[in-house]
Amino acid sequence: MKKKRVSKGRHLMMAIWVAAIVVFMAELLVYTWCRVQYVRTGYEVTEATKEHHRLMELHRKLKVEEARLRSPERIMRVAQQRGLVIPDSKQVVVIP
Amino acid sequence: MMLRRTKKPNPLKWIRFRIILLGAVLAACFALVMGRAFQLQVLEGKRLQSKAAVQYKKAFHNRPKRGTIYDQNFAELAVSIDVASICAYPGQVSSPEQTASALAQVLNLKREFLLEKLSSGKGFVWIKRHVDPTQVSAIRELGLGGIDFVTEPRRFYPLKSLAAQVIGFCGTDGRGLEGLEFYYDSYLKGREGSGTVLRDALGRDFTGKGPSPEGKLGYNLILTIDKNIQYITEQALSEGVKKFWAKSGMALVIVPSTGAILAMAHVPGFNPNAFSQYEPWLWRNRAITDFFEPGSTFKIFLAASALESGLCTPVSEFYCEEGAYRVGKNIVHDVCPYERLSLQDIIKYSSNIGAAKVGEKVGSAYLYHKLKEFGFGHKVGIDCPGETRGSLLPVGRWSQIDAVAICFGQGISVSALQLAAAVSPIANNGLMMKPYLVQGMTDARGRVVKSFQPTPLQQVLSPENARRLTRMMERTVEKGGTGVRAALRGYKVAGKTGTAQKADPAGHGYAEDKYMASFVGFAPAKNPEIAVLVVIDEPQRDHYGGVVAAPVFRRIVQKTLRYLKVPPELATPERDSPGQEGHRQAGESLRVSWEAPTMG
Repeated sequence: MKKKRVSKGRHLMMAIWVAAIVVFMAELLVYTWCRVQYVRTGYEVTEATKEHHRLMELHRKLKVEEARLRSPERIMRVAQQRGLVIPDSKQVVVIP
Repeated sequence: MMLRRTKKPNPLKWIRFRIILLGAVLAACFALVMGRAFQLQVLEGKRLQSKAAVQYKKAFHNRPKRGTIYDQNFAELAVSIDVASICAYPGQVSSPEQTASALAQVLNLKREFLLEKLSSGKGFVWIKRHVDPTQVSAIRELGLGGIDFVTEPRRFYPLKSLAAQVIGFCGTDGRGLEGLEFYYDSYLKGREGSGTVLRDALGRDFTGKGPSPEGKLGYNLILTIDKNIQYITEQALSEGVKKFWAKSGMALVIVPSTGAILAMAHVPGFNPNAFSQYEPWLWRNRAITDFFEPGSTFKIFLAASALESGLCTPVSEFYCEEGAYRVGKNIVHDVCPYERLSLQDIIKYSSNIGAAKVGEKVGSAYLYHKLKEFGFGHKVGIDCPGETRGSLLPVGRWSQIDAVAICFGQGISVSALQLAAAVSPIANNGLMMKPYLVQGMTDARGRVVKSFQPTPLQQVLSPENARRLTRMMERTVEKGGTGVRAALRGYKVAGKTGTAQKADPAGHGYAEDKYMASFVGFAPAKNPEIAVLVVIDEPQRDHYGGVVAAPVFRRIVQKTLRYLKVPPELATPERDSPGQEGHRQAGESLRVSWEAPTMG
């Protein structure tokens, strides 16, 4: 009877230990997974930030190019090349 | 038979022994690890942390981009973009001679200059700032050791010379050096970003918490300038300067009701993208910094003073001495002799003697007082650097000839801005507005952080006198007037010509062959939308304001009103190109015989 009781107690202790180890290991794995995710997301954020800056810079450069293309001097030159002229005041009809 | 009982070895004991031994070894190892951990984390923690930080943390200092400068319709006039600069770490350059030769070939620099830099022994040297992208690619392909590339913002002016003197420019370090770039530098430059980023073993950046690497971006400026009106003005001015072989020219377009400056043109101009290739005097906003004697355009303010004094009406008559009037030792001349002229005809024919007589009637003290009210002799307060106050002597120091000469715009100096701003109240029912160039500031996200509203300065004329003066100025542009070449089809124009002799550089009175031709006016005369001043310096082929400056004024006004979609007034003179009346520039030029060597 006594042996049986001792055996039961051992099994219980072992189960508690196993459970604790499983919980500990699981926590370790979850923590590691979180860290890996954190680092990976950090890299993704860095990449996204760089891409954002690159696109912003490209946007700026395109705006400069647009401003250059829309410069009155260039438009006037292109218009003259195509034979366009500013209408005379007699040719302008003001609609009230 | 005797049975010998042998003692069986107890396996449990052996197992226990082994377990205890293993436990002891593990405990010893654990103690060792713990001890080492204690040493690393506690005893040497701080030192090792800082040592490690050097390897995985990277400090950065980013110069923020300057804010953009826009015209009133949000067209970019000045933008900052990233460009590469080439630097070197001389200690890491294995062969300075070969590296210098390779760089010199691509960058078009002197090999000796580069070799000196690469052999300097310094930790860091700049090779070339703001390099062309094709050159950067070429150097990257060379794969030179110790050579690196740094991205820096560079100021770029996409419309090149358009409004260059107004906008100004920046130096290599991104600081504003001239114009609005200089005046609003503290707002445009933003705040430098600094901090640290984490870096892994492969040198890749890892974004943690920290300040934005951009720092605080500069504010954007929104100007009152309209790029199209600026272009119209610059084009017309350039044609005028070229046609009459003039030294230079200035023109301003102002909205009289607000004081907003739509255009401020200078000829010759310069390209702010390569400002160092131009002479420094071209960088200056001469319409604000330089002063000149205005000549007959100043008669407008004499007439305004006369009307405001109540001593004269437009039809008050004055004896014009038939072309020559002695003032002390000096004789004032009119180009065409007149016997009697009314005040409105003195303006129309630009009689110097008539103006002198009006000045005598009004009195120096009152004239001085009114000129001060019109803004002469002190700064207008525009938001631009280097504004001049001009030169208006205190009335107590006026000599006899000063009192006469000031009536027709000699013996007094004004800036182009002062002159244009002073004409504006005539077109605004007598209310003078403060001229301004910047109407607002926005942050990097486009939110308005500051806005500048039109600021009334003073009621310098009664509305009634402003109307009477407008009518007198309209007559100048009508048949027989000096400014007939400023007349245009569809609109009534009010204006005044000016031809001033320039001071002799040797300091003896006035130069015989150097003139300043000008025209100032506004249109449409009934409901003025714009006031325009044109000043042409030292024209060679002709020198009368009515011949040189008035046609430039006409072109500016004609195109600008069309651009602003101002409908033509119907009852206007049917003329687009002026007749020959304009050749008669009666009395427009100063004809003073300086019998005394100096003005006294």
